[in-house]
Amino acid sequence: MSDYNKPLPPPSVESEPFWDGCKRHELLVPRCDRCAHHWFPPAATCPECWSTDWTWARVSGKGKIYSFGVYHRAYHKGFAEELPYALVVVELDEGPRLTTNVVGCKPEELSCDMPVEVVFDDVTEDRTLYKFTPANDG
Amino acid sequence: MSTNLSGKYAIVGVGQSPLGKVPELGPIGLFAVAAKNAIEDAGLKKEDVDGLITRGPDDVYCHHQKVGEALGLNVTFSTSTANGGASQTMAVAMACMAIEAGVCNTVVVGYGRDTWSRTHRTAEAKQAVASRPRTYSEFGSEFGQFGAPVNYAVAARRHMERFGTTKAQLGAIAVAFRNHARKNPHAFMQKPLTLEEYLSARLIVDPLCLYDCSVFIDGAGAVVVTTAERARDLRQPPAYVRGFGFGNRLSGWYADDNMITTGAKEAGEAAYKMAGIGPRDVDTAQIYDCFTHMVLLQLEDYGFCAKGEGGPFVASGALEADGVLPTNTSGGQLSEGHIEGMLQVLEGARQVRREHTADRQVKDCNIALVTGHGGNTVCQSALILGREAG
Ligand SMILES: [Zn+2]
Repeated sequence: MSDYNKPLPPPSVESEPFWDGCKRHELLVPRCDRCAHHWFPPAATCPECWSTDWTWARVSGKGKIYSFGVYHRAYHKGFAEELPYALVVVELDEGPRLTTNVVGCKPEELSCDMPVEVVFDDVTEDRTLYKFTPANDG
Repeated sequence: MSTNLSGKYAIVGVGQSPLGKVPELGPIGLFAVAAKNAIEDAGLKKEDVDGLITRGPDDVYCHHQKVGEALGLNVTFSTSTANGGASQTMAVAMACMAIEAGVCNTVVVGYGRDTWSRTHRTAEAKQAVASRPRTYSEFGSEFGQFGAPVNYAVAARRHMERFGTTKAQLGAIAVAFRNHARKNPHAFMQKPLTLEEYLSARLIVDPLCLYDCSVFIDGAGAVVVTTAERARDLRQPPAYVRGFGFGNRLSGWYADDNMITTGAKEAGEAAYKMAGIGPRDVDTAQIYDCFTHMVLLQLEDYGFCAKGEGGPFVASGALEADGVLPTNTSGGQLSEGHIEGMLQVLEGARQVRREHTADRQVKDCNIALVTGHGGNTVCQSALILGREAG
């Protein structure tokens, strides 16, 4: 039994392949076969051209911080001991934005446009979360 | 071909329930009191009402079927909208469209909620607050994304880093609205608020603190909408509907630059065009203020200053009673109380009716802009009310 006490919402029909990718430490996002647009969260049609032909594409995992907010109040007991913690919006180099946490960095060290790269956190036997860390240049 | 409805319809009655802590009434009961007061204010009777538009979608809100049952209403047209805080201004516009289409003549529009009591009425209710949230969604909850404030904190942070907006500038909004509230005996927050107190307040989601967030109360507001022709024979000076507009950036708050320039830009452009006016003609603004930063964004998007200049604009004292744009003159949701923008529709109408005492009345008020925002951050609606029909 895991003592992990933060919420892990069950994957939807459309997101299951994404979470399976995380388990393999691969970041996958839908890419349109017609117009090459990448999008997130997963959806059945390309939001740019409405094509239904698309592929789960493994992306670089590199991006930058679009913005962030730092929680000083716990809305969930699983996060109470993390306070203050940052909810971060990362824009991938391929375009889509993901809400996430940045690890290896204090909230006060964050800034918009800071380069980051994906890391994977195997939080339970069944689930792996995508997180980001300040990018190692070079 | 489009028809310009500007000045053809008017708000002819306004009413509100008791506001604040009203544990003896639920949302439907609060709404019923507000609706009765609005009808009486107009000098109309229950039998005159043939339309009802409320805010949906579920029993937490004022579903039109439940409201209609409580009021014993049989009408030709009724519905509930689901655009969150953008619903209330939109419902006034929908009433005009419904009357124009000939489906009804006199429409009650309103909203009520018992947010204070819902969270305080019983030990169970208090517990429910302590242990919220009760629903989780993927790509958010795993990372600790809960509640509404974070959406505006993220937007404020981006605005600060891009344009140099400061906490003290957001504070000027909270302080101005508190100053207005202290002249409104029905406002929930009556204690003075200084910029120093604002700057030392407890953080909720940085950069937003306690005073950046609206206050939850029990209450309801309602208005009566009918034709300008009929309005002229009624008890009160009409608040003519001069313009309305909408902008729903459904692609998402986190997509593109939608948290920098919002759908308020499209809503405002359409409303000004319909009214044949511009932002310089607006005498008072009632801006949807779930959070201070949302006021700042809308002031930019509705053209009262350039994009990025909202901070210096509000810090200049523009929103105060003697400022260039007295804004949220009843205290707004930050200090009067949060009824999803409905009380601001009432305040816009009251200002163009010029019914306030001198300390609260915007001098020579001819035009009021009332805005709505919500639907999980992506919906905007604007309403322009005028003392004259055109
Ligand atoms: Zn496409």
